Amino acid sequence: MNSPHSSMASVEAPTSSAVAAPASPPAAPRRRAPLPWFSADNIVSLYISRIAFAVIVLGAWEYGADRWFDSFFFSTPLKILRQVALELIDPGFYWDLWVTSFEMGLGFAIGAGGGIVLGVLLARWAYVAKMLDPFLLALYSIPRIALAPMLIVWFGIGYSSKVFLGATLVFFITFFNTLAGIRSVDRALCDIARVMQATEWQIFMKVMLPSASSWILTSVKISLPFALVGVILGEFLVSSQGLGFRLNTYSTNYNITGAMAIVFLMMVLMLMLTAITNAIEARALRWRPKSAAEPVAQS
Amino acid sequence: MLQIEGIRKEFSGGHVPVVALEAVDLTIERGEFVTLVGPSGCGKSSLLTLISGLAPPSSGRIRIAGRDIAGTDRAVGFITQQDNLFPWRTLIDNVALALELAGVGAAERRREAGRWIERVGLAGFERAYPHQLSGGMRQRANIIRTLIYEPSVILMDEPFGPLDAQTRLSLQALLLSIWETQRSTVLFVTHDLTEAIALADRVVLMSARPGRIVRADRVEIRRPRDIFYMHDLPEFRRLYDTLWHELAAQLDGLGRSTH
Repeated sequence: MNSPHSSMASVEAPTSSAVAAPASPPAAPRRRAPLPWFSADNIVSLYISRIAFAVIVLGAWEYGADRWFDSFFFSTPLKILRQVALELIDPGFYWDLWVTSFEMGLGFAIGAGGGIVLGVLLARWAYVAKMLDPFLLALYSIPRIALAPMLIVWFGIGYSSKVFLGATLVFFITFFNTLAGIRSVDRALCDIARVMQATEWQIFMKVMLPSASSWILTSVKISLPFALVGVILGEFLVSSQGLGFRLNTYSTNYNITGAMAIVFLMMVLMLMLTAITNAIEARALRWRPKSAAEPVAQS
Repeated sequence: MLQIEGIRKEFSGGHVPVVALEAVDLTIERGEFVTLVGPSGCGKSSLLTLISGLAPPSSGRIRIAGRDIAGTDRAVGFITQQDNLFPWRTLIDNVALALELAGVGAAERRREAGRWIERVGLAGFERAYPHQLSGGMRQRANIIRTLIYEPSVILMDEPFGPLDAQTRLSLQALLLSIWETQRSTVLFVTHDLTEAIALADRVVLMSARPGRIVRADRVEIRRPRDIFYMHDLPEFRRLYDTLWHELAAQLDGLGRSTH
Protein backbone atom coordinates (compact mmCIF):
# COMPACT_ATOMS: atom_id res chain seq x y z
CA MET A 1 0.00 0.00 0.00
CA ASN A 2 2.93 2.31 0.48
CA SER A 3 3.95 2.10 -3.12
CA PRO A 4 3.16 5.41 -4.79
CA HIS A 5 2.07 3.48 -7.85
CA SER A 6 -0.76 1.61 -6.28
CA SER A 7 -2.18 3.38 -3.27
CA MET A 8 -5.37 5.38 -3.50
CA ALA A 9 -3.94 7.93 -1.15
CA SER A 10 -1.17 8.75 -3.54
CA VAL A 11 -3.70 9.34 -6.26
CA GLU A 12 -5.71 11.66 -4.12
CA ALA A 13 -2.97 13.49 -2.33
CA PRO A 14 -1.55 15.46 -5.24
CA THR A 15 -5.07 16.01 -6.47
CA SER A 16 -6.41 17.62 -3.37
CA SER A 17 -3.32 19.73 -2.88
CA ALA A 18 -3.56 20.83 -6.47
CA VAL A 19 -7.24 21.62 -6.37
CA ALA A 20 -8.03 22.96 -2.95
CA ALA A 21 -6.01 26.16 -2.97
CA PRO A 22 -8.40 28.72 -1.45
CA ALA A 23 -8.97 31.96 -3.28
CA SER A 24 -6.33 34.44 -2.32
CA PRO A 25 -7.64 37.18 -0.02
CA PRO A 26 -8.43 40.44 -1.80
CA ALA A 27 -5.32 42.52 -2.18
CA ALA A 28 -5.03 45.12 0.57
CA PRO A 29 -5.53 48.66 -0.76
CA ARG A 30 -2.11 50.01 -1.42
CA ARG A 31 -1.09 53.62 -1.23
CA ARG A 32 -0.99 54.89 -4.76
CA ALA A 33 0.42 57.97 -6.34
CA PRO A 34 -2.28 60.71 -6.50
CA LEU A 35 -4.18 60.77 -9.78
CA PRO A 36 -3.71 63.69 -12.15
CA TRP A 37 -6.44 66.34 -11.73
CA PHE A 38 -8.07 65.72 -15.08
CA SER A 39 -7.95 61.93 -14.86
CA ALA A 40 -11.43 60.46 -15.42
CA ASP A 41 -10.82 58.28 -12.34
CA ASN A 42 -10.19 61.21 -10.01
CA ILE A 43 -13.45 61.21 -8.02
CA VAL A 44 -12.58 64.26 -5.91
CA SER A 45 -11.81 66.43 -8.91
CA LEU A 46 -14.92 65.18 -10.71
CA TYR A 47 -17.20 66.20 -7.85
CA ILE A 48 -15.58 69.60 -7.48
CA SER A 49 -15.90 70.19 -11.22
CA ARG A 50 -19.53 69.10 -11.24
CA ILE A 51 -20.44 71.44 -8.42
CA ALA A 52 -18.56 74.29 -10.12
CA PHE A 53 -20.39 73.57 -13.39
CA ALA A 54 -23.80 73.66 -11.71
CA VAL A 55 -22.96 76.85 -9.80
CA ILE A 56 -21.79 78.61 -12.98
CA VAL A 57 -24.85 77.62 -15.04
CA LEU A 58 -27.41 78.34 -12.32
CA GLY A 59 -25.51 81.46 -11.24
CA ALA A 60 -25.53 82.83 -14.79
CA TRP A 61 -29.25 82.11 -15.02
CA GLU A 62 -29.96 83.83 -11.72
CA TYR A 63 -27.68 86.78 -12.44
CA GLY A 64 -28.79 87.21 -16.03
CA ALA A 65 -32.50 87.34 -15.16
CA ASP A 66 -33.91 90.77 -16.11
CA ARG A 67 -30.38 91.82 -17.12
CA TRP A 68 -29.82 89.63 -20.20
CA PHE A 69 -33.31 88.19 -20.60
CA ASP A 70 -36.84 88.66 -19.32
CA SER A 71 -37.43 86.55 -16.22
CA PHE A 72 -41.12 86.40 -17.12
CA PHE A 73 -40.25 83.84 -19.80
CA PHE A 74 -37.49 81.90 -18.07
CA SER A 75 -38.02 82.48 -14.33
CA THR A 76 -34.95 82.13 -12.08
CA PRO A 77 -33.48 79.22 -10.10
CA LEU A 78 -34.28 80.81 -6.73
CA LYS A 79 -37.89 81.53 -7.69
CA ILE A 80 -38.27 77.96 -8.95
CA LEU A 81 -36.75 76.61 -5.74
CA ARG A 82 -39.18 78.67 -3.69
CA GLN A 83 -42.07 77.40 -5.80
CA VAL A 84 -40.88 73.80 -5.31
CA ALA A 85 -41.02 74.39 -1.56
CA LEU A 86 -44.56 75.81 -1.91
CA GLU A 87 -45.63 72.77 -3.95
CA LEU A 88 -44.24 70.46 -1.29
CA ILE A 89 -46.47 72.00 1.39
CA ASP A 90 -49.55 72.08 -0.85
CA PRO A 91 -51.94 69.08 -0.33
CA GLY A 92 -53.19 69.63 -3.90
CA PHE A 93 -49.74 68.78 -5.21
CA TYR A 94 -49.75 65.46 -3.39
CA TRP A 95 -53.14 64.57 -4.82
CA ASP A 96 -51.88 65.29 -8.33
CA LEU A 97 -48.70 63.34 -7.62
CA TRP A 98 -50.77 60.38 -6.45
CA VAL A 99 -53.03 60.48 -9.52
CA THR A 100 -50.08 60.58 -11.91
CA SER A 101 -48.17 57.88 -10.01
CA PHE A 102 -51.23 55.66 -10.00
CA GLU A 103 -51.82 56.07 -13.74
CA MET A 104 -48.15 55.56 -14.44
CA GLY A 105 -47.90 52.47 -12.23
CA LEU A 106 -50.95 50.88 -13.75
CA GLY A 107 -49.92 51.74 -17.31
CA PHE A 108 -46.46 50.38 -16.68
CA ALA A 109 -47.77 47.18 -15.11
CA ILE A 110 -50.17 46.53 -17.99
CA GLY A 111 -47.63 47.41 -20.69
CA ALA A 112 -44.69 45.53 -19.17
CA GLY A 113 -46.82 42.57 -18.06
CA GLY A 114 -48.41 42.26 -21.48
CA GLY A 115 -45.06 42.69 -23.23
CA ILE A 116 -43.37 40.01 -21.15
CA VAL A 117 -46.23 37.52 -21.43
CA LEU A 118 -46.64 37.99 -25.18
CA GLY A 119 -42.85 37.95 -25.66
CA VAL A 120 -42.58 34.63 -23.84
CA LEU A 121 -45.53 33.14 -25.72
CA LEU A 122 -44.29 34.17 -29.15
CA ALA A 123 -40.75 33.06 -28.36
CA ARG A 124 -42.17 29.59 -27.67
CA TRP A 125 -44.56 29.65 -30.63
CA ALA A 126 -42.38 30.34 -33.62
CA TYR A 127 -45.11 30.04 -36.24
CA VAL A 128 -47.37 32.67 -34.75
CA ALA A 129 -44.37 34.92 -34.11
CA LYS A 130 -43.40 34.78 -37.77
CA MET A 131 -46.97 35.24 -38.92
CA LEU A 132 -47.50 38.31 -36.71
CA ASP A 133 -44.07 39.78 -37.40
CA PRO A 134 -45.06 42.40 -40.05
CA PHE A 135 -48.11 43.46 -38.06
CA LEU A 136 -46.14 43.95 -34.87
CA LEU A 137 -43.58 45.96 -36.79
CA ALA A 138 -46.35 48.09 -38.30
CA LEU A 139 -47.91 48.74 -34.89
CA TYR A 140 -44.52 49.55 -33.45
CA SER A 141 -43.97 52.06 -36.25
CA ILE A 142 -47.04 54.07 -35.30
CA PRO A 143 -45.92 57.06 -33.27
CA ARG A 144 -48.18 56.09 -30.40
CA ILE A 145 -48.41 59.67 -29.22
CA ALA A 146 -50.53 60.22 -32.34
CA LEU A 147 -53.10 57.85 -30.90
CA ALA A 148 -53.67 60.09 -27.89
CA PRO A 149 -56.69 62.05 -29.22
CA MET A 150 -58.41 58.85 -30.30
CA LEU A 151 -57.64 57.18 -27.01
CA ILE A 152 -59.54 59.95 -25.29
CA VAL A 153 -62.48 59.36 -27.60
CA TRP A 154 -62.33 55.62 -26.90
CA PHE A 155 -61.54 55.59 -23.21
CA GLY A 156 -63.03 58.88 -22.07
CA ILE A 157 -61.38 61.66 -20.17
CA GLY A 158 -60.86 59.64 -16.98
CA TYR A 159 -57.64 57.93 -15.97
CA SER A 160 -57.99 54.94 -18.32
CA SER A 161 -56.95 56.88 -21.44
CA LYS A 162 -53.72 57.94 -19.67
CA VAL A 163 -53.05 54.45 -18.42
CA PHE A 164 -53.50 53.04 -21.91
CA LEU A 165 -51.23 55.62 -23.52
CA GLY A 166 -48.48 54.81 -21.01
CA ALA A 167 -49.02 51.09 -21.51
CA THR A 168 -48.68 51.23 -25.32
CA LEU A 169 -45.34 53.01 -25.01
CA VAL A 170 -44.03 50.46 -22.49
CA PHE A 171 -45.43 47.38 -24.18
CA PHE A 172 -43.30 47.20 -27.30
CA ILE A 173 -40.03 47.80 -25.46
CA THR A 174 -40.58 44.93 -23.04
CA PHE A 175 -42.15 42.74 -25.72
CA PHE A 176 -39.25 42.91 -28.19
CA ASN A 177 -36.66 42.50 -25.43
CA THR A 178 -38.38 39.50 -23.88
CA LEU A 179 -38.70 37.88 -27.29
CA ALA A 180 -35.02 38.43 -28.02
CA GLY A 181 -34.03 37.32 -24.51
CA ILE A 182 -35.87 34.00 -24.69
CA ARG A 183 -34.62 33.40 -28.22
CA SER A 184 -31.02 33.94 -27.19
CA VAL A 185 -31.10 31.29 -24.46
CA ASP A 186 -28.12 28.97 -24.82
CA ARG A 187 -29.43 25.65 -26.17
CA ALA A 188 -26.63 23.79 -24.44
CA LEU A 189 -28.07 24.83 -21.07
CA CYS A 190 -31.50 23.53 -22.06
CA ASP A 191 -29.89 20.25 -23.12
CA ILE A 192 -28.19 19.90 -19.73
CA ALA A 193 -31.56 20.15 -18.04
CA ARG A 194 -33.17 17.86 -20.61
CA VAL A 195 -30.61 15.11 -19.98
CA MET A 196 -31.43 15.50 -16.27
CA GLN A 197 -35.06 14.69 -17.11
CA ALA A 198 -36.41 18.23 -16.75
CA THR A 199 -39.97 18.74 -17.96
CA GLU A 200 -40.65 21.43 -20.57
CA TRP A 201 -42.13 23.58 -17.82
CA GLN A 202 -39.00 23.16 -15.68
CA ILE A 203 -36.80 24.06 -18.63
CA PHE A 204 -38.84 27.20 -19.09
CA MET A 205 -38.84 28.18 -15.42
CA LYS A 206 -35.32 27.18 -14.49
CA VAL A 207 -33.38 27.79 -17.70
CA MET A 208 -35.16 30.11 -20.12
CA LEU A 209 -36.66 32.63 -17.76
CA PRO A 210 -33.55 33.18 -15.61
CA SER A 211 -31.42 33.30 -18.72
CA ALA A 212 -33.62 35.97 -20.29
CA SER A 213 -33.94 37.89 -17.03
CA SER A 214 -31.18 40.36 -17.85
CA TRP A 215 -32.92 41.29 -21.13
CA ILE A 216 -36.27 41.60 -19.43
CA LEU A 217 -34.96 43.70 -16.54
CA THR A 218 -33.10 46.01 -18.89
CA SER A 219 -36.27 46.60 -20.90
CA VAL A 220 -38.21 47.29 -17.72
CA LYS A 221 -35.66 49.90 -16.76
CA ILE A 222 -35.65 51.54 -20.19
CA SER A 223 -39.42 51.57 -20.54
CA LEU A 224 -40.28 53.03 -17.13
CA PRO A 225 -39.74 56.68 -18.17
CA PHE A 226 -42.00 56.10 -21.16
CA ALA A 227 -44.86 55.26 -18.85
CA LEU A 228 -44.49 58.74 -17.34
CA VAL A 229 -44.27 60.33 -20.79
CA GLY A 230 -47.51 58.66 -21.89
CA VAL A 231 -49.38 59.60 -18.74
CA ILE A 232 -48.24 63.24 -18.74
CA LEU A 233 -49.19 63.60 -22.39
CA GLY A 234 -52.63 62.17 -21.73
CA GLU A 235 -53.08 64.62 -18.85
CA PHE A 236 -52.03 67.50 -21.08
CA LEU A 237 -54.76 66.77 -23.57
CA VAL A 238 -57.76 66.37 -21.31
CA SER A 239 -57.82 66.02 -17.57
CA SER A 240 -58.81 67.66 -14.34
CA GLN A 241 -56.06 66.26 -12.13
CA GLY A 242 -52.51 64.91 -12.17
CA LEU A 243 -49.07 66.47 -12.55
CA GLY A 244 -49.60 66.98 -16.28
CA PHE A 245 -52.78 68.87 -15.55
CA ARG A 246 -51.01 70.97 -12.90
CA LEU A 247 -48.17 71.75 -15.29
CA ASN A 248 -50.60 72.64 -18.05
CA THR A 249 -52.56 74.92 -15.75
CA TYR A 250 -49.43 76.84 -14.77
CA SER A 251 -48.15 77.24 -18.32
CA THR A 252 -51.49 78.32 -19.80
CA ASN A 253 -51.56 81.00 -17.10
CA TYR A 254 -48.03 82.07 -18.09
CA ASN A 255 -46.79 80.97 -14.67
CA ILE A 256 -43.38 79.79 -15.90
CA THR A 257 -42.01 79.49 -12.37
CA GLY A 258 -44.81 77.10 -11.44
CA ALA A 259 -44.37 75.06 -14.61
CA MET A 260 -40.62 74.83 -14.11
CA ALA A 261 -41.12 73.72 -10.51
CA ILE A 262 -43.37 70.86 -11.67
CA VAL A 263 -40.88 69.84 -14.36
CA PHE A 264 -38.18 69.80 -11.68
CA LEU A 265 -40.32 67.65 -9.40
CA MET A 266 -41.07 65.24 -12.27
CA MET A 267 -37.34 64.95 -12.83
CA VAL A 268 -36.83 64.09 -9.15
CA LEU A 269 -39.63 61.51 -9.33
CA MET A 270 -38.04 59.87 -12.34
CA LEU A 271 -34.58 59.87 -10.73
CA MET A 272 -36.01 58.13 -7.69
CA LEU A 273 -37.76 55.49 -9.78
CA THR A 274 -34.58 54.88 -11.78
CA ALA A 275 -32.62 54.45 -8.56
CA ILE A 276 -35.14 51.86 -7.38
CA THR A 277 -35.06 49.89 -10.63
CA ASN A 278 -31.26 50.03 -10.66
CA ALA A 279 -31.18 48.58 -7.16
CA ILE A 280 -33.63 45.82 -8.14
CA GLU A 281 -31.60 45.04 -11.24
CA ALA A 282 -28.32 44.92 -9.33
CA ARG A 283 -29.85 42.55 -6.81
CA ALA A 284 -31.50 40.27 -9.38
CA LEU A 285 -28.43 40.14 -11.61
CA ARG A 286 -25.77 39.82 -8.95
CA TRP A 287 -24.60 36.62 -10.65
CA ARG A 288 -23.22 38.61 -13.57
CA PRO A 289 -19.57 39.57 -13.57
CA LYS A 290 -19.34 43.22 -12.58
CA SER A 291 -16.33 43.82 -14.74
CA ALA A 292 -13.65 41.88 -16.51
CA ALA A 293 -11.24 42.98 -13.80
CA GLU A 294 -12.99 41.04 -11.06
CA PRO A 295 -10.60 38.46 -9.59
CA VAL A 296 -11.27 34.82 -10.38
CA ALA A 297 -10.52 32.18 -7.77
CA GLN A 298 -7.48 30.18 -8.74
CA SER A 299 -7.21 26.44 -8.59
CA MET B 1 -24.51 -2.93 -19.83
CA LEU B 2 -24.62 -0.45 -22.68
CA GLN B 3 -25.23 -1.91 -26.13
CA ILE B 4 -24.83 0.06 -29.31
CA GLU B 5 -26.00 -1.85 -32.37
CA GLY B 6 -25.66 -0.87 -36.01
CA ILE B 7 -25.81 2.84 -35.35
CA ARG B 8 -25.84 5.10 -38.37
CA LYS B 9 -26.20 8.85 -38.26
CA GLU B 10 -26.70 11.05 -41.26
CA PHE B 11 -27.00 14.84 -41.16
CA SER B 12 -29.08 16.11 -44.04
CA GLY B 13 -29.05 19.80 -43.21
CA GLY B 14 -26.38 21.02 -45.66
CA HIS B 15 -26.04 20.80 -49.46
CA VAL B 16 -25.03 17.15 -49.34
CA PRO B 17 -26.09 14.77 -46.60
CA VAL B 18 -23.13 13.92 -44.35
CA VAL B 19 -22.79 10.45 -42.88
CA ALA B 20 -21.25 10.99 -39.45
CA LEU B 21 -21.46 7.42 -38.18
CA GLU B 22 -21.71 4.15 -40.08
CA ALA B 23 -22.44 0.70 -38.68
CA VAL B 24 -21.17 1.37 -35.19
CA ASP B 25 -21.37 -1.63 -32.86
CA LEU B 26 -20.06 -1.44 -29.33
CA THR B 27 -20.90 -3.23 -26.12
CA ILE B 28 -19.73 -1.81 -22.83
CA GLU B 29 -19.90 -3.98 -19.75
CA ARG B 30 -21.49 -2.71 -16.57
CA GLY B 31 -18.90 -0.77 -14.58
CA GLU B 32 -16.47 -0.62 -17.49
CA PHE B 33 -14.52 2.54 -18.33
CA VAL B 34 -14.20 2.87 -22.10
CA THR B 35 -12.47 5.71 -23.87
CA LEU B 36 -13.19 6.61 -27.46
CA VAL B 37 -10.46 8.15 -29.61
CA GLY B 38 -10.33 9.12 -33.25
CA PRO B 39 -9.49 11.94 -35.64
CA SER B 40 -11.37 15.22 -35.24
CA GLY B 41 -14.78 15.13 -36.83
CA CYS B 42 -15.01 11.34 -36.81
CA GLY B 43 -18.34 11.41 -35.04
CA LYS B 44 -17.18 10.66 -31.48
CA SER B 45 -19.25 13.47 -30.04
CA SER B 46 -22.19 12.64 -32.30
CA LEU B 47 -22.21 9.13 -30.88
CA LEU B 48 -22.43 10.51 -27.34
CA THR B 49 -25.26 12.83 -28.33
CA LEU B 50 -27.18 9.85 -29.73
CA ILE B 51 -26.67 7.80 -26.57
CA SER B 52 -27.72 10.77 -24.44
CA GLY B 53 -31.01 10.77 -26.31
CA LEU B 54 -30.77 14.44 -27.30
CA ALA B 55 -30.86 13.35 -30.96
CA PRO B 56 -32.13 10.13 -32.54
CA PRO B 57 -29.92 7.85 -34.68
CA SER B 58 -30.82 7.49 -38.36
CA SER B 59 -30.86 3.76 -37.77
CA GLY B 60 -29.71 1.23 -35.21
CA ARG B 61 -30.56 0.80 -31.55
CA ILE B 62 -29.13 1.70 -28.18
CA ARG B 63 -29.92 -0.38 -25.13
CA ILE B 64 -29.08 -0.13 -21.48
CA ALA B 65 -29.45 -3.28 -19.42
CA GLY B 66 -31.49 -4.72 -22.28
CA ARG B 67 -33.89 -1.75 -22.36
CA ASP B 68 -34.20 0.35 -25.51
CA ILE B 69 -33.32 4.01 -25.07
CA ALA B 70 -35.66 6.50 -26.71
CA GLY B 71 -35.04 10.10 -25.81
CA THR B 72 -33.18 11.26 -22.72
CA ASP B 73 -33.05 8.75 -19.93
CA ARG B 74 -32.67 8.83 -16.17
CA ALA B 75 -29.96 6.16 -16.43
CA VAL B 76 -27.71 8.25 -18.71
CA GLY B 77 -25.66 11.23 -17.58
CA PHE B 78 -23.86 13.52 -20.04
CA ILE B 79 -20.83 15.61 -19.12
CA THR B 80 -20.00 18.11 -21.84
CA GLN B 81 -16.75 19.74 -22.88
CA GLN B 82 -17.96 23.23 -22.08
CA ASP B 83 -18.85 23.31 -18.41
CA ASN B 84 -22.25 24.86 -19.20
CA LEU B 85 -22.87 25.81 -15.59
CA PHE B 86 -25.88 28.08 -15.17
CA PRO B 87 -24.29 31.51 -14.66
CA TRP B 88 -27.15 32.71 -12.45
CA ARG B 89 -26.81 29.85 -10.00
CA THR B 90 -24.31 29.53 -7.20
CA LEU B 91 -21.96 26.57 -7.24
CA ILE B 92 -24.05 24.58 -4.78
CA ASP B 93 -27.29 25.24 -6.67
CA ASN B 94 -25.63 24.23 -9.94
CA VAL B 95 -24.47 20.96 -8.41
CA ALA B 96 -27.89 20.32 -6.88
CA LEU B 97 -29.77 21.02 -10.14
CA ALA B 98 -30.58 17.40 -11.01
CA LEU B 99 -31.94 16.74 -7.52
CA GLU B 100 -33.97 19.95 -7.67
CA LEU B 101 -35.50 18.88 -10.99
CA ALA B 102 -36.33 15.51 -9.44
CA GLY B 103 -38.18 17.24 -6.61
CA VAL B 104 -35.73 16.55 -3.78
CA GLY B 105 -36.24 18.95 -0.85
CA ALA B 106 -33.98 21.96 -0.47
CA ALA B 107 -32.23 20.87 2.73
CA GLU B 108 -31.50 17.37 1.49
CA ARG B 109 -30.20 18.38 -1.94
CA ARG B 110 -27.99 21.07 -0.42
CA ARG B 111 -26.54 18.52 1.98
CA GLU B 112 -25.85 16.08 -0.84
CA ALA B 113 -24.37 18.78 -3.10
CA GLY B 114 -22.24 20.02 -0.23
CA ARG B 115 -20.77 16.55 0.22
CA TRP B 116 -19.79 16.34 -3.43
CA ILE B 117 -18.36 19.83 -3.43
CA GLU B 118 -16.19 18.95 -0.49
CA ARG B 119 -15.11 15.71 -2.08
CA VAL B 120 -13.65 17.48 -5.13
CA GLY B 121 -11.92 20.15 -3.07
CA LEU B 122 -14.31 23.04 -3.69
CA ALA B 123 -15.44 23.53 -0.08
CA GLY B 124 -15.70 27.21 0.73
CA PHE B 125 -16.92 28.11 -2.79
CA GLU B 126 -20.53 26.92 -2.36
CA ARG B 127 -21.94 30.43 -2.71
CA ALA B 128 -19.65 31.50 -5.56
CA TYR B 129 -21.08 32.16 -9.02
CA PRO B 130 -19.49 30.38 -12.01
CA HIS B 131 -17.76 33.53 -13.29
CA GLN B 132 -15.89 33.71 -9.99
CA LEU B 133 -14.39 30.24 -10.45
CA SER B 134 -11.44 29.10 -12.54
CA GLY B 135 -11.83 26.74 -15.51
CA GLY B 136 -10.67 23.74 -13.50
CA MET B 137 -13.08 24.48 -10.66
CA ARG B 138 -15.97 24.90 -13.07
CA GLN B 139 -15.17 21.62 -14.77
CA ARG B 140 -15.11 19.83 -11.42
CA ALA B 141 -18.54 21.27 -10.70
CA ASN B 142 -19.72 20.18 -14.15
CA ILE B 143 -18.65 16.61 -13.40
CA ILE B 144 -20.18 16.30 -9.95
CA ARG B 145 -23.52 17.77 -10.95
CA THR B 146 -23.94 14.66 -13.10
CA LEU B 147 -22.42 12.23 -10.59
CA ILE B 148 -24.77 13.50 -7.89
CA TYR B 149 -27.81 11.75 -9.35
CA GLU B 150 -25.89 8.54 -9.98
CA PRO B 151 -26.81 7.67 -13.56
CA SER B 152 -25.62 4.15 -14.30
CA VAL B 153 -24.07 5.22 -17.62
CA ILE B 154 -21.96 8.37 -17.77
CA LEU B 155 -20.99 9.92 -21.09
CA MET B 156 -18.08 12.35 -21.06
CA ASP B 157 -17.26 14.49 -24.09
CA GLU B 158 -13.67 15.70 -23.76
CA PRO B 159 -14.40 17.14 -20.34
CA PHE B 160 -10.77 18.09 -19.76
CA GLY B 161 -10.20 19.44 -23.28
CA PRO B 162 -10.20 23.15 -22.45
CA LEU B 163 -7.93 22.81 -19.38
CA ASP B 164 -4.20 23.31 -19.02
CA ALA B 165 -1.97 20.23 -18.73
CA GLN B 166 -1.53 20.30 -14.96
CA THR B 167 -5.18 20.86 -14.17
CA ARG B 168 -6.02 18.10 -16.62
CA LEU B 169 -3.79 15.65 -14.83
CA SER B 170 -5.17 16.43 -11.40
CA LEU B 171 -8.75 16.15 -12.66
CA GLN B 172 -8.00 12.82 -14.34
CA ALA B 173 -6.68 11.55 -11.01
CA LEU B 174 -9.75 12.91 -9.24
CA LEU B 175 -12.08 11.30 -11.76
CA LEU B 176 -10.36 7.93 -11.39
CA SER B 177 -10.45 8.02 -7.62
CA ILE B 178 -14.18 8.79 -7.66
CA TRP B 179 -14.93 6.22 -10.34
CA GLU B 180 -13.03 3.52 -8.48
CA THR B 181 -15.46 3.86 -5.60
CA GLN B 182 -18.53 4.46 -7.81
CA ARG B 183 -17.97 2.01 -10.67
CA SER B 184 -20.50 3.43 -13.05
CA THR B 185 -20.27 2.59 -16.74
CA VAL B 186 -18.30 5.32 -18.47
CA LEU B 187 -17.90 6.20 -22.14
CA PHE B 188 -15.29 8.93 -22.37
CA VAL B 189 -14.47 10.74 -25.62
CA THR B 190 -11.05 12.33 -26.02
CA HIS B 191 -8.57 13.11 -28.74
CA ASP B 192 -5.68 12.72 -26.32
CA LEU B 193 -4.25 9.20 -26.58
CA THR B 194 -2.37 9.48 -23.28
CA GLU B 195 -5.55 10.38 -21.47
CA ALA B 196 -7.45 7.62 -23.26
CA ILE B 197 -5.03 4.91 -22.12
CA ALA B 198 -4.51 6.27 -18.63
CA LEU B 199 -8.19 6.23 -17.75
CA ALA B 200 -9.61 3.27 -19.61
CA ASP B 201 -10.25 -0.41 -19.22
CA ARG B 202 -10.63 -0.45 -22.98
CA VAL B 203 -9.64 2.07 -25.64
CA VAL B 204 -11.84 2.16 -28.74
CA LEU B 205 -10.43 3.74 -31.87
CA MET B 206 -12.68 5.24 -34.52
CA SER B 207 -11.94 5.94 -38.16
CA ALA B 208 -12.20 9.24 -39.98
CA ARG B 209 -15.65 10.14 -41.29
CA PRO B 210 -17.84 8.26 -41.63
CA GLY B 211 -16.96 7.09 -38.14
CA ARG B 212 -16.55 3.37 -37.76
CA ILE B 213 -14.94 1.41 -34.98
CA VAL B 214 -11.48 0.32 -36.13
CA ARG B 215 -10.24 -1.52 -33.09
CA ALA B 216 -10.66 -1.89 -29.36
CA ASP B 217 -7.78 -2.66 -27.02
CA ARG B 218 -7.85 -3.69 -23.40
CA VAL B 219 -5.54 -1.68 -21.14
CA GLU B 220 -3.65 -4.20 -19.02
CA ILE B 221 -2.65 -1.85 -16.24
CA ARG B 222 -4.04 -2.77 -12.87
CA ARG B 223 -6.07 -0.44 -10.74
CA PRO B 224 -5.93 1.66 -8.72
CA ARG B 225 -3.65 3.52 -11.08
CA ASP B 226 -1.35 6.41 -10.48
CA ILE B 227 -2.02 8.89 -13.24
CA PHE B 228 1.12 10.83 -12.42
CA TYR B 229 3.59 7.99 -12.96
CA MET B 230 1.96 5.51 -15.29
CA HIS B 231 3.28 6.87 -18.57
CA ASP B 232 6.61 5.08 -18.11
CA LEU B 233 5.08 1.64 -17.70
CA PRO B 234 5.99 -0.73 -20.58
CA GLU B 235 2.33 -1.77 -21.03
CA PHE B 236 1.44 1.87 -21.45
CA ARG B 237 4.18 2.56 -24.00
CA ARG B 238 3.34 -0.50 -26.02
CA LEU B 239 -0.33 0.31 -26.32
CA TYR B 240 0.41 3.95 -27.00
CA ASP B 241 2.70 3.08 -29.93
CA THR B 242 0.24 0.63 -31.43
CA LEU B 243 -2.66 3.05 -31.22
CA TRP B 244 -0.57 5.96 -32.43
CA HIS B 245 0.34 4.10 -35.64
CA GLU B 246 -3.29 3.35 -36.25
CA LEU B 247 -4.39 6.90 -35.49
CA ALA B 248 -1.64 8.38 -37.65
CA ALA B 249 -2.82 6.23 -40.55
CA GLN B 250 -6.35 7.57 -40.03
CA LEU B 251 -5.11 11.14 -39.92
CA ASP B 252 -3.02 10.57 -43.03
CA GLY B 253 -5.98 9.14 -44.90
CA LEU B 254 -8.00 12.14 -43.80
CA GLY B 255 -5.30 14.46 -45.16
CA ARG B 256 -5.29 12.74 -48.53
CA SER B 257 -9.01 12.57 -48.92
CA THR B 258 -9.51 16.26 -48.28
CA HIS B 259 -6.63 17.62 -50.38
